[in-house]
Amino acid sequence: MAESSEQQLPNTKRLQAAVHYTVGSLCQEIANDKQVSFSKQAVAAISEITFRQCETFTKDLEMFARHAKRSTITMDDVKLLARRSRSLHAHISEQSNEIAANDREEKEKRKRSNSAGKRRSDGDSAVADSEDHIIE
Amino acid sequence: MEREEEPVEFSKILVSKLLQMHLEEDKTKVSGPAVLLLAELLKVFVHEAAARAARQALTEDVSVVDIEHVEKILPQLLLDF
Repeated sequence: MAESSEQQLPNTKRLQAAVHYTVGSLCQEIANDKQVSFSKQAVAAISEITFRQCETFTKDLEMFARHAKRSTITMDDVKLLARRSRSLHAHISEQSNEIAANDREEKEKRKRSNSAGKRRSDGDSAVADSEDHIIE
Repeated sequence: MEREEEPVEFSKILVSKLLQMHLEEDKTKVSGPAVLLLAELLKVFVHEAAARAARQALTEDVSVVDIEHVEKILPQLLLDF
């Protein structure tokens, strides 16, 4: 018991540090863009907010999945999370389509390389190539 | 400086660890695409926080964004997400 709680704390701290690092880099991007600079406390505040927001997001996602009688959180749940602002919802939907397309492409590639190992026919690969162009 | 070329974003590993930490039921799983999409959502969240705080500072004619500017934009930010 004592051991697990001892391990829990550094783990949380490590994740917090990782969030802080990413937030710092993102703030730097904005700073370059808008010609301002961020104080250390401002960056720390934003990363603290982000870390806590993560907790809210996770709990919401878990409930959405449970409401849909699923035990796996899917992209649909994340889309529902971004329901409050119309433009955010549009952006997230667009991204989800992109991710889904990439995912499909990767799966197809894997399937193709699997089948190429079994039987290699020129006709098949030509068809696959033209399909690729349609997707792009 | 050299990292400027690749876009900054939350790593997939970090996001899935954050999710795992807060999940209440152990049997809940997260699909890979969902993790990627959540990483994008978090990136937008931080971008919005930083950009709004920067704009708040600029309207006050200050070029250093401090915690007070973050405080001012926080309520509306949380209402939007």
